[in-house]
Amino acid sequence: MFKAAKLGLVGILIVVLLAACGSNSSSDGSTNKSTEKITLTIWNNWSGQDAKAVAMRKILEDFQSENPNITLEIEALATDGLKTRLRTAAAADEMPDLFVMWPGAMTKEFVQGDLLQPINEFLDQNAEWKNNFIENALVDFTVEDNIYSVPMNLAPSSLLYYNEDLFKQYNVKVPTTWDELLQAVDTFNANNIIPIALGNKANWVAQSTTFSTIGDRVTGTEWFLKAVDQSGASFTDPEFIEALKLYQELGEAKAYQEGFNSIDENQMLQLYTQGKAAMVINGGWAVAGLVNTASEEILNATNITILPTVDGGKGAAKTTAGVVGTGLGVNKKLSGAKKDAAMKLFYALAGPDGQKATLESSTLISYNLELDPSKANPLFIKLTELMKETKIVPVYDSKLSSAAVEAINNGLQELLLGGDPEDIAKRIQAAQAGAVN
Amino acid sequence: MNSATVKRFIAVALAPSLILYSLFVFVPVIWSAYYSLFNWSGIGQAAFIGLQNYKELLSDSIFWHSLGNNVIFVLASVLGQVPLALLLAIILYKSNALQRFLRAAVFMPMVLSTVVIGLIWNYVYHPQIGILNFLLDALNLSALKMEWLSDPDIAIFSLIPPLIWSFVGLYLIIFISALQNIPGELDDAAKIDGAKGFTKLFKITLPMIWGTIQVALILCIAGSLKSFDLVYIMTRGGPAHATELLATYMYNATFSTFRYGYGSTISTAIVIISLLLIGTSQWLTSRRK
Repeated sequence: MFKAAKLGLVGILIVVLLAACGSNSSSDGSTNKSTEKITLTIWNNWSGQDAKAVAMRKILEDFQSENPNITLEIEALATDGLKTRLRTAAAADEMPDLFVMWPGAMTKEFVQGDLLQPINEFLDQNAEWKNNFIENALVDFTVEDNIYSVPMNLAPSSLLYYNEDLFKQYNVKVPTTWDELLQAVDTFNANNIIPIALGNKANWVAQSTTFSTIGDRVTGTEWFLKAVDQSGASFTDPEFIEALKLYQELGEAKAYQEGFNSIDENQMLQLYTQGKAAMVINGGWAVAGLVNTASEEILNATNITILPTVDGGKGAAKTTAGVVGTGLGVNKKLSGAKKDAAMKLFYALAGPDGQKATLESSTLISYNLELDPSKANPLFIKLTELMKETKIVPVYDSKLSSAAVEAINNGLQELLLGGDPEDIAKRIQAAQAGAVN
Repeated sequence: MNSATVKRFIAVALAPSLILYSLFVFVPVIWSAYYSLFNWSGIGQAAFIGLQNYKELLSDSIFWHSLGNNVIFVLASVLGQVPLALLLAIILYKSNALQRFLRAAVFMPMVLSTVVIGLIWNYVYHPQIGILNFLLDALNLSALKMEWLSDPDIAIFSLIPPLIWSFVGLYLIIFISALQNIPGELDDAAKIDGAKGFTKLFKITLPMIWGTIQVALILCIAGSLKSFDLVYIMTRGGPAHATELLATYMYNATFSTFRYGYGSTISTAIVIISLLLIGTSQWLTSRRK
């Protein structure tokens, strides 16, 4: 009796497992059966709860219900995961039909790998749309006169978010110079407030949100671009080592909370939204997250500015590191009706309506569109005002080779723990030289 | 049945798993060894560079550091998991309610996904809200507080408690079943001969389960050589490569730096090192007999 019950249970388990395995294959089969139906695969990084991701998912949903003959197969991944996934798919030559793609280095590599098709024709058919992008918006998506995508947002990567209440309470001046920043750090430390929250476990954060701007302030953009091409400048040059040393000062002054290398970007923002940290340095994209997650009190106290200037640096002052935002890559293999459907979706997401939806989700765009102040969050209005007078300089990871990006990301972790700047510079130089030559 | 049909039956029965094994283990290993001779970013043409990657590997300090970390993991597992599991098994192998409960409690981490274990321990070690640092404060031991996962000197050692905790249950179960298989007559004979306590443990119990202990040791060495998930979730091999293991370094070289050729070189090195270690351990155990 008991044994029979046990056997029955095992039987049920097996049936459940088989059913679970089987369901995938059956759904694959049914979508391919009818010929007039079109299936589009799209990979994106709109997986979070931030306003931008929510808005983009809404567009996909609407598109799906308005076009019953097109079946969307949507895969939403976290940003790091998507980047890895795309590279892996590229290596196997199994790219999806449309995918979120980064400007600069990634676009170039995909073009060289013959994975993308240009969209010049489509842009020319919609000239009004094309001409409405801000200056230079398409440059990083252009390879040899062919345009491969358009930016769907604008991503200054390095802005200083600060809690005005805490600054007032401890009578600290909002830093506009390097010395003022160090002073602010000291005062907050003396009062047991974390000066700057940092979550550098996924090691791109320090590089992308902070060091790219500091590097530009010290070396100037021209030097950096030369060093990227390895023509006339090298990462072992004294100006770059000076930039590394300057950043190390910030670590030595205990500007970051304890254990910053073991928490991630979300936990970093949490420290700020819980009021434990006075400042956090993050990209413009953080606003879309803050307006959805921070309390009213913190949100009202939050203000945004650029990183402080550096005395004697060669870079321009009113700048922040950044890139025009991500675009959509169009698979080389698409043609005919499938391509038409893909371009329709492209236009829904990146066209005027898509840009408007993005802007309304508190995300900056590279497209000329007036913001309706009555609809926008006050923090986002502050951000748009700031960006009107701020120029964008290249963020390091949009220009450097992947090997050099990995070297600099790990190097910065080491630097903040007291590593030797010259050793770190040598490793970055070796990685970039190896990739360029 | 004559011996020829028996042999044929054995061959036919083994064929499916042999084919699967060679398809999914053997072939990829060969392919990976082949790719290790190329410089390939995954996109576009791969350039043949001969043994250049291996030359680079031998002078790559991060590779040797990762190997050192793997050795730490192997030692921690062999000296931590196995003796601890053995001790617990000897205490818990009878079946009263308390022992059953404790056994289940020790075994529980085995059924948790490594992701969950990693997240739990990340919160134990969390620099701001970590339980461990609170505990040290409460015990007036604030001086012992550390940046458990972000200090490169201690991060690799902070990963050892979760490693032991998550696998000790497996060896506990293996040892308990071995202990329960010791025939009762031996127990009675020992009683008549007056063997008790430690004498009984070392003269009867341990020799009887020695074979199982050997198997556990091999499982343990093989398991910790290929560990990846726990480290990837808790530290991603950081800060600054401090907790990099061979497997995480291979993953990072392949999927963060996009050097597929060099990543394959590291994989091939892992295969060679594992073969050497397993060969050595087999040689050692065969000598014993």
